[in-house]
Amino acid sequence: MMSSFTATQKTGAGLLLLLIAYAFFGPMLQAGDAATQDLNHILTPPNAEYWFGTDHFGRNMWIRLADALQLSLMMAGLCVLTSAIIGVSAGVLAATGSRWLDRGLDAIVTMILALPGLVLVLIFAAIVPGSFWMLYVAISLIQWIEYFRVSRAITQRLTRSPEVQSSKLMGFGQWYIFRRHYWPAIAPQLFTIAAFGAASAILMMASLGFVYVGIQPPLAELGLMIVEHFPYYSDAPWLLAQPLVLLALVVLACHLMGRGRTQ
Amino acid sequence: MSLIHIDNLAVYAGDIELVAPISLTLKQGQRLTILGQTGSGKSLLAQAIMGNLPKSLHTTGQVTLFGENVSPKQRQRFWGRRISMLPQEPWNSLDPLMGAQPQLQETYQLVAGQSAAKAQQSADYTLALQGLSDSGHKRVDQLSGGMAQRVAIACAMAGGAPVLLADEPTKGLDVSRRDQVVEQLMTQSEQGTLITITHDVAVARQIGGHMMVIKGGKLVEEGDATAILAEPQHDFTRALIAADPVNWPIPEPNIIKGELLLQASDLTIGHGDVALSKHLNFDLHQGEVVGVVGDSGCGKSTLGDTLLGVQPALGGRVQRHQTAQPHQWQKLYQDPTAAVSRAVSLATLLEDTVKLHNIDRTRIKPLMQQLGLTDDLLKRNSEGVSGGELQRFCMLRALLLDPVFLFADEPTSRLDPITAQEVSQLLVDVAKQNGCAVMLVSHDPDMISKRCDRVINLNV
Repeated sequence: MMSSFTATQKTGAGLLLLLIAYAFFGPMLQAGDAATQDLNHILTPPNAEYWFGTDHFGRNMWIRLADALQLSLMMAGLCVLTSAIIGVSAGVLAATGSRWLDRGLDAIVTMILALPGLVLVLIFAAIVPGSFWMLYVAISLIQWIEYFRVSRAITQRLTRSPEVQSSKLMGFGQWYIFRRHYWPAIAPQLFTIAAFGAASAILMMASLGFVYVGIQPPLAELGLMIVEHFPYYSDAPWLLAQPLVLLALVVLACHLMGRGRTQ
Repeated sequence: MSLIHIDNLAVYAGDIELVAPISLTLKQGQRLTILGQTGSGKSLLAQAIMGNLPKSLHTTGQVTLFGENVSPKQRQRFWGRRISMLPQEPWNSLDPLMGAQPQLQETYQLVAGQSAAKAQQSADYTLALQGLSDSGHKRVDQLSGGMAQRVAIACAMAGGAPVLLADEPTKGLDVSRRDQVVEQLMTQSEQGTLITITHDVAVARQIGGHMMVIKGGKLVEEGDATAILAEPQHDFTRALIAADPVNWPIPEPNIIKGELLLQASDLTIGHGDVALSKHLNFDLHQGEVVGVVGDSGCGKSTLGDTLLGVQPALGGRVQRHQTAQPHQWQKLYQDPTAAVSRAVSLATLLEDTVKLHNIDRTRIKPLMQQLGLTDDLLKRNSEGVSGGELQRFCMLRALLLDPVFLFADEPTSRLDPITAQEVSQLLVDVAKQNGCAVMLVSHDPDMISKRCDRVINLNV
């Protein structure tokens, strides 16, 4: 698998692995946790004790950033997995099933597309503010559409192709045709959608944190941290820069991964 | 000055020699025909001349075009205007989302540099000349194989390149269209030069000029086409000429008729609202080989789909008189590469079929031998084998299912004459042995007359 990656994709994968390693193993390297306040040491610049310094409550930024990154990556992973499974299944069913199913799904998709994605997520997030799971449902609800449309288009083309007709004539069932014909055609496209989808899931979660309807304090979340650190931008510019740079790096890693070979 | 001069051009994959060094020189008005079997490296040679070989292959030797010694990369700037290639697979070489006419117009505009209005005129004129006026708006998937081929040819010729490489230009065309295409190629080549790659002896005879016979990447015979075709020196050339359907032995007439299998009464076939053929009446009996002929686009493939129940009939009815399983009604496709999954190896696909229908595994080996398939071949996927090998694999799968009816849609159009003769003979033998009715679609009247018991003509 790795050998078929381009150099760009390898760079992205390397960066992403590095970030994942930091998110999950970084906190082990320093004592303490993300929530403990130490008001005697607020806004400490990075030093040997606090590698990334401390924030306005004296919390350890190395651990807080890792926690926030963990949350973002988990959200991205869950959203990609859920929306891919739902999207591909619905797409293949729409293309192969009855006309009414296709029309029904098409109507739902058109309705969701008619609303700006972020607004839809905002509405959901406002119902239960601060809930990780509500955000997950909302983001997945928007993201499955891309998988749906791509799988449906590919499958529609294939249902009329000689290869599928031949397998049907030989008596093979729908599951076999999915495995041997539809899936091999859809799979290569999924990776790109998944990479961009992960990036946009992370950005959406951060945007919601930024407007205070996402994850609630004291949990560490990248968007929330940006808005929390904002008042201190002149005293401690490095503090505000940290979540921003990290966010940019994650999104960059995902986008690099999505840059496949142009065919 | 020679238009094209090639000095010891050879193609290698790593250390393995795929095409042995070949030299040739062509001046204006000269023609060259390269004759050989599929898999003999003819297409590689064409690609090596064009300079669009896959990256895994490399060449040695020199190519001089218009007096300029050019590297493969430099040759790219000659593409379209000075040197042009008619590709082998028309479906893959045309834009799948664009109509035929806009594609051709775009070529006239962007490659030949005509104004938009002039390009439209040229495109319309060329399409009318090719008998495609009514199909200009159709996309590739809506065109028949022969029609797509004609559009591809028109596009390749639109740039007016003096050096024309034609890789199997007549594959899948019926005889009248084939003659037209050959004539068109000849007219085009009067101002330039023409290199034709073919396995069709009849085409080689029509084009004439200089001829090279290639076997396994090596030149076996070279000289004037008429002389070689009249008195072939090499055994391989002789076999190739004998395998031309014109020279096939005339079969014994088949008098035994099996039980009635299928009856079509007042059948009308077509897509949507457009009827392609009306009021067809015929019976099919077991063990019978029936030929289906007609111009390209007259509904030969559609007839098969209708009889197999894949597509509804527009009128009339098809009655099946035998209680055979649905999977015993099989079809062989014109383009086997489009009919077989690329995702897994051929062995896996075969295994899938064997498991699904509990086929006796001891039957596989002898049948594979009869079809000239090796175990080694099955380890590859459909992209790793030649079209002829893949077609024989499709036959293997179909025959293992004990078909009662086999619709063979131009099954040999991608095979070289020697294999085509064997494969079509095998098809006929199987039909007689197993009491299977075969419907054979072909554009080659000789093939039909030598292989079929009777003929359904869709033109009338």
